[in-house]
Amino acid sequence: MSVAGILFVLFGILLIALLVWASRPPKRQFPPGLDVFEALSQSRHCLRLLPILQSLKVEDSEYLRDRGHGALMRTLRQERRRIALTYLDRLQEEFETLLEISRVLAVMSPGAVGVEELERWKLSVVFAANCAWLRWRLRLGLRPFAGLTLLSGMATNIARQLEAATSRIAEATVQGSEFRTLDRETHEDS
Amino acid sequence: MEQPLHLKDILWAVTTIVEVLLLVQLIRGKLLRSYPFFSGYVACVILQSVGLALVHRSAEFDRVTEWNIAWGSQGVVALARSLALIELIQKILAQYSGIWALARRLLVSVGIGVVAYDLVWSKGMSQWLILNGVRGLELAMAAVIVTMLAFARYYRLPIHMLHRTLAVGFCLYSASYVIDYSLLEKLLQKYPDYWNFLGILTFLASVLVWLIAVTRAAETAVETVHATIPAELHGRLSSEVNLRLYLLNRQLNELLRSGDRR
Repeated sequence: MSVAGILFVLFGILLIALLVWASRPPKRQFPPGLDVFEALSQSRHCLRLLPILQSLKVEDSEYLRDRGHGALMRTLRQERRRIALTYLDRLQEEFETLLEISRVLAVMSPGAVGVEELERWKLSVVFAANCAWLRWRLRLGLRPFAGLTLLSGMATNIARQLEAATSRIAEATVQGSEFRTLDRETHEDS
Repeated sequence: MEQPLHLKDILWAVTTIVEVLLLVQLIRGKLLRSYPFFSGYVACVILQSVGLALVHRSAEFDRVTEWNIAWGSQGVVALARSLALIELIQKILAQYSGIWALARRLLVSVGIGVVAYDLVWSKGMSQWLILNGVRGLELAMAAVIVTMLAFARYYRLPIHMLHRTLAVGFCLYSASYVIDYSLLEKLLQKYPDYWNFLGILTFLASVLVWLIAVTRAAETAVETVHATIPAELHGRLSSEVNLRLYLLNRQLNELLRSGDRR
């Protein structure tokens, strides 16, 4: 059989495998209907983790080493690594929830949102790649501490912006709930 | 050689009967008006089966003419399949105005890309132009269906059982066709009956799946209505969600960069 023939056969088999995958229901299922408004107003885990991150100072472990507590320093660093990984998990979880919400919004949108969606696709790929890269670095113990301790300072500003965005969403959520009530009443009347 | 030949004829007859039953079910279930292109495609397939049977039995046509008629009619059927598929995609995705334009562009790009891939690999085989063309079309259809289902899965879109089954039936047949044809490409002229037998068998499986789905769908309503939100509210929510996504991504980038600074 020719190379072209083999490639076509492989393509066909790949398509059948993808068909099986695509026909299965997705793992994460967002609550149906307009429950998206409730989900948007919920507080976020990553914001709660900021105080934990602020407590992670490089000097702490260096101080222990200077005092001759090498074993304790290693234990502390391991703990920090675990915390950092948990933080990363939460960050990714929040990102995925927001993506899930954005999908629901795109489906409910009355107008075309193609460009916006393409931007989100790109962003989600970049985010997933960065997350995987950072997780790999943390697991291998490659310079995770400086990043995390510096983050607590730098992230304050971002966290403030995030909180502002959340409160604006909460306002819009009230509007959404009103729309939902109105919509329901209209349906009941008709 | 005798046994598969008889088996092939029996299978051909059984498939035609199932195709007729499918058309009857479409008419009985009042689905003819809702699915004109799919119904037209089923009618085309029945006409092709009857026509080819008559040509096969007639002594007027030689082997080459019969071959040309068979593949010419296959081109028409493939075109009807494409139209039925477009109709199906519209039924599944067109109601979502927010993502419909994006889906359309994506599916057209996938279709054109796969046909181009087929043409590139079929270069220099001009004697097999129709056959390779049909394979390219079948491959494109299978790829488009898989992309459509993946797209619907990504956006958690509910797909009616009838639509899902029609899509799966189309895709399975198209993918099987590509595999059969590519595997037996060189042996096609030597063992055409075996090749036809495999083709009819996979098509019969698809038609049976469709028949069951159409029979069930006739008993339940197919049309669905989905909720939309006002444009202004959507704009506000969407921009805020986007902002949060960007901020989270920035947070992660800062984390990465700060690690490098050390």
